[in-house]
Amino acid sequence: MNLDFFTIDTGTILFTLINTLLIFLAFRFILFKRVDAILEKRQKEVDSVYDAADEALADANSKKEQYTAAMTNAKEEAAGIVARAEKTAQREGDAIVAQAKQEAAAAREKASLETAREKAQARAELQGEISGLAMDLAQKIMEKEISQKDHARLIDEFLEEMDSEGDSK
Amino acid sequence: MNISDFLKGSPDGFDVQGPKVICSFDVFGVTINLTETVAISWLIILAVTLLLLWLTSGMKTKNISKRQVAAEWIVQTLYDLVESSMGKHWRKFAPYIGALFTFSILGSLVSMIGLRSVTADFNAPLAWALVTFVFIHGTNIRTHGFLGYLKGYVEPVFVMMPINVISEVSTPVSMSLRHFGNIVSGMVITSMVYFALSAVTKGIGIAFLTIGIPAVLSLYFDLFGGFMQAFVFIMLTMAYISNADGRAETAA
Repeated sequence: MNLDFFTIDTGTILFTLINTLLIFLAFRFILFKRVDAILEKRQKEVDSVYDAADEALADANSKKEQYTAAMTNAKEEAAGIVARAEKTAQREGDAIVAQAKQEAAAAREKASLETAREKAQARAELQGEISGLAMDLAQKIMEKEISQKDHARLIDEFLEEMDSEGDSK
Repeated sequence: MNISDFLKGSPDGFDVQGPKVICSFDVFGVTINLTETVAISWLIILAVTLLLLWLTSGMKTKNISKRQVAAEWIVQTLYDLVESSMGKHWRKFAPYIGALFTFSILGSLVSMIGLRSVTADFNAPLAWALVTFVFIHGTNIRTHGFLGYLKGYVEPVFVMMPINVISEVSTPVSMSLRHFGNIVSGMVITSMVYFALSAVTKGIGIAFLTIGIPAVLSLYFDLFGGFMQAFVFIMLTMAYISNADGRAETAA
């Protein structure tokens, strides 16, 4: 049995409504639900990737600042170290020069004192020798008349006179 | 049979009939027929459900398969279509539009595998048009309030009321008749041409005409016509509903 070609049939309308609802449910709860879920998940992943990128960028920037600050500090420190080293070197050099000068002066003084002392010693030796020589000479010249003692005294007096004259000079 | 027989009409003739009734039962005195249309609809529902399950199985966020691309494209296209025709707040309407379009186009295309088109039964497009009708008036009431909705019938003047009522009622009638008429006329023309060609072929005795021409006609009426009518139906549905919705203008 067939329906008429053009007829309004309650049963077919009701069944078609139910069928349309079923297809709608298939679209809504299979296709749309699943695709929406996956799109949302992907959006979240993309967001998290962006967040991570932002974080990494901020991290990199802060590290760069730290590095720049560290570099500036290091430069200042290096300059300070160099300046201090120069100052120390200058000071030490000056000290060394001063000490050297002092030592040289001391050595000179010591040398001059030695010279004076040696001169005095030489003079004393010479005095002894000269008085001996003079006595020998006088003995030979004046034999018996003048005693040895008298002559020696005379010659000493003479030499002292000469010596004081030499010192005053 | 020869040409004169054809001009007189075939003795067995050709008859365009409604869908077969598989079984019928009475519910509270109303005869409910389970027809060919409904049975074929069930096949369509089964096919669509399996297809959607297949398309959306094993979806991932990265390195997506081709069928996931297809699934996402369908969803995105439906969202875009609904949002551009009705505005963003009608976004949740997209699954219904997708379901309606799919049901309509597959209902027309089953004729290509030798089944009777679901849409060649007036009751199917009528049911969809009734859904659209309910949506139109529901939206209208929600937008303007019940009194505002009733007031709409007496504008601009009271005497316009019968015309306004007819205009409202004609919306689902015209929608369903347009869809039904296009598909069923294709069906009628195809069977008429097939009948004529087979009569000519019998007259000549060589079966060549019945091979190519019906296929081309079927391609036009079933494929192109089916697609056009499904598209027209969903576009009209969206246009009427968003027209009843005052927000649509501001959203557009």
